[in-house]
Amino acid sequence: MKKDLRILREQNRQKKNHTFWKICALIVDSLGQKTIAFFITVHEIWILFLSSMRSIFSIWFFRRQFVEQLYSFSVKTIPITTVLSIFLGLGALVQGIYQSNPFVPRVYTVNVVFKSLVIELCPIILSLVLAGKLGASLAAEIGSMKISDQIDALKTLSLDPVGFLVLPRLLAGFIMLPIITIFANFIAILSVFFASSVVSGWISPLEFLRGIQLDFRVFELILGSLIKPSLFGILIAFMGCYFGLKTVGGAKGVGKASTNAVVISAILIVIVDYYLGVLFL
Amino acid sequence: MIEVRKLCKSFNGKKVLNKIDLEIRENEIFTILGPSGHGKTVLIKLLVRLLEPDSGSISYDGQDISSLSKREFNEMYKKIAFIFQSNALFDYLDVKDNLSLYKKLHTKLSEKMIMDEVLEAIHFVGLGQDILNKFPEELSEGMKKRVAIARAVIKLPSYIFYDEPTLGLDQGNIVKVIELIRSLKKDVSLTSIVVTHNIHLMFEISDRVALLKDREIVFVGDKDNISNVMLQNLYEKGEDYEL
Ligand SMILES: Nc1ncnc2c1ncn2[C@@H]1O[C@H](COP(=O)(O)OP(=O)(O)OP(=O)(O)O)[C@@H](O)[C@H]1O
Ligand SMILES: [Mg+2]
Repeated sequence: MKKDLRILREQNRQKKNHTFWKICALIVDSLGQKTIAFFITVHEIWILFLSSMRSIFSIWFFRRQFVEQLYSFSVKTIPITTVLSIFLGLGALVQGIYQSNPFVPRVYTVNVVFKSLVIELCPIILSLVLAGKLGASLAAEIGSMKISDQIDALKTLSLDPVGFLVLPRLLAGFIMLPIITIFANFIAILSVFFASSVVSGWISPLEFLRGIQLDFRVFELILGSLIKPSLFGILIAFMGCYFGLKTVGGAKGVGKASTNAVVISAILIVIVDYYLGVLFL
Repeated sequence: MIEVRKLCKSFNGKKVLNKIDLEIRENEIFTILGPSGHGKTVLIKLLVRLLEPDSGSISYDGQDISSLSKREFNEMYKKIAFIFQSNALFDYLDVKDNLSLYKKLHTKLSEKMIMDEVLEAIHFVGLGQDILNKFPEELSEGMKKRVAIARAVIKLPSYIFYDEPTLGLDQGNIVKVIELIRSLKKDVSLTSIVVTHNIHLMFEISDRVALLKDREIVFVGDKDNISNVMLQNLYEKGEDYEL
């Protein structure tokens, strides 16, 4: 009886051990597959990027598509940008006033608000929001073309899908995001000015101007409103196109593609933003 | 002439086509008949290189297409028109732009000349001008199919591929599509390749026929040589087919 029990216990232990190793193997296996899938994705993205760069000389051929994209990247995003930047400015101002104490001259507060808006807040928040708006719609648009054979149809009409779909969107992102960001900066600063100086009289207009000019560096402006947004624009457009072109499997696939496009481009934007800061500041 | 030699294709380790040999002659209507899900769409897409084969070769007039560069193949696509099972009309463009896109991007014709060709094509498929400003979602299935055919013929191709041209159409529309396929052969002397599971359509239009079953071509030849037994065998597992 006792011996039986011992055997049983031993068997049980072995079984547990067995399941343990099995689970370990499963985890390693799935990690391995994920890693491989990750590198395949990186490789594919690289190939797509190269082939869109190669088709850059055909942009004149696809100029109509390019103009259409410029339009949808700019005009359609103006309302959302305006609202966003007004409140970004106000939010930054409230925060700045709250954080500063009576011993800090108000010009410094204005200076901090101005710099954080132009270098960091406007470009990154705007890009994140536009990643949601433009990235998702790009991925969904191209994804539904993919699942309904329209991408193949382009090929049979001797039109290169990369030149026809990807390149115009990439260039539109590259050109329009800086322009939108400059516009957003302008609106945000204007709203700060109105709130702090015109409406509340917290600071005089002259002082406000002095706050902006304090330690003014052109390079910071270039970084915040040209370099960052143009890179983010490429990222947004590119991720939208990549995940759109990769779509498989019906409406569900389209949904997945647009979610992926938004999530991945948002993560990449934040990471790239950090490295740009490290590199340039 | 299109020659296919030992063509194989599999997806995720599952073989869909095995050692396909075909010869499609100039100015004939060649039909590939087979039950649903037996790889007809895969085969016809391989023929125009929308899919890459695992092995085997396809050549047009003696030129192997797998050796062509992307650019050369884009040139070659100018001779080929493909009508998709799902029509694949560009749904963000209206009918006029769907039809004129190719001409606008690949020719230097004036706007007016392009418009004339669009009108000619749309009349050829038996549709009226009023359709030109509509978007694909506003059209019936029969109209979509005919617009897809118009978009194909406006290229003035030498080869035209149809994937299930009569799928989802009523009898009236089927008759019209059959007439179109025939007149494209007679009037413009196109080489047509039709893929279908519709036996009636196959007998109506074909010059020669290939029967595709279980990954392989089981018969190639004149349609008069097809016996009832062959057809019964083709569909013996009770797959769906229209007569
Ligand atoms: N992209 C793909 N990935 C995986 N499997 C595929 C893919 N395309 C086709 N298949 C498989 O290949 C087989 C043949 O499909 P295909 O679409 O060629 O059939 P079909 O003969 O055209 O059928 P139908 O008459 O219904 O259109 C199917 O079993 C399908 O599951
Ligand atoms: Mg099919």
